[in-house]
Amino acid sequence: MGMSAQDKMLNVASRLGLTTLKDMQGTTRMVYDSQTTAALTHTFFKGASQRAFPLSNVGANGNQFQVNEALLVEKIGFFVPTGADGISYTGLAGVGVGVKFDFVIGNKTVIKDATCELGGEQAFYSDGAVASSVIDLEGVGILIPPQVEYYVIAKCYGSDSRLASSQRLGCYLFGTGALLNFNTTI
Amino acid sequence: MANQVQKLSYVDNKLGVSLPGQQTTRVIYDSVNATAGQQFFQFFTNFAGKTEFQSNLTTNKLDSAESMVIKSVQIIMGSALCNLADHLNLNITVGNQVVLKDFDPSFNATNRGVAYDRLHSGFNSNTNLEVRLLTEIVIPPQVNFKAELQTSNPLLALNDDVTIIFKGYGRIFSAGNSF
Repeated sequence: MGMSAQDKMLNVASRLGLTTLKDMQGTTRMVYDSQTTAALTHTFFKGASQRAFPLSNVGANGNQFQVNEALLVEKIGFFVPTGADGISYTGLAGVGVGVKFDFVIGNKTVIKDATCELGGEQAFYSDGAVASSVIDLEGVGILIPPQVEYYVIAKCYGSDSRLASSQRLGCYLFGTGALLNFNTTI
Repeated sequence: MANQVQKLSYVDNKLGVSLPGQQTTRVIYDSVNATAGQQFFQFFTNFAGKTEFQSNLTTNKLDSAESMVIKSVQIIMGSALCNLADHLNLNITVGNQVVLKDFDPSFNATNRGVAYDRLHSGFNSNTNLEVRLLTEIVIPPQVNFKAELQTSNPLLALNDDVTIIFKGYGRIFSAGNSF
């Protein structure tokens, strides 16, 4: 493979005609959204501009990045808010569920019917003390370009029973990012 | 991809910093003594009256021949009630440029299974966490920088200390060649 996260960002940006993304500030970025009303199905990031911190950190731009801002998603994690205020949360192990999800960017489903199985990827972690609620994307990751809407549709299910489970739920997308910079990268 | 040594050299050269300096591993930190219920903290902006253990800087910029790459950010909360496991919002600014934006490090606190990177997570601590950054962020010489942290938990008590620590590769002043 040999492609770095930065290489992939620039490659996709070039194909999309985003010629100035290479001059932007590189960063580590994460966005998250949470819904504190228990439900069988959650749609994250759509309408998230209406959910202020600590429910979400996307801000006024909602489920799209500003001009020349982007995120190469390398990890997707799920968490369960413990109260209606969304301040505290636990991992999927706290309620014993897995999450089946679709990840959509623009009009394109980029991850389809995937699951974040409770305790998956345990072997990749050094402590292994608690079942994981995070999946690492294979390959380099998936780029959310600037000004393109993205969202995640997620459903909880009992990890053992495989039955639908109504839960509060939150989702984060973590990876390498770019921030708007009018001059040159420092 | 440039590693942190190459990136620091690249940025320093672009900014006209030609001194080679002594290569080093750099750790800088700043601590804020909180008021009760405080939920917003600015680091590296006020150094008055701080001991050497509360901050190892005296100004919000590195010296003229010093620079560093931030690879890792650690946060320590000296509180039993207001913990780092609840949602946080961290922004880091270098010069006039936001280099880390609306970042929530709380996922690396405790062992809930939601950490970005368990190798550098806080294990089972909710008052001490560390996040390893995926990109190298350079603090050039003589450029202001600051960090701003917002907590969602309002239970911080009077005189609780909140500390932020930047770790990474750096350069410090050397009159001659590297030792």
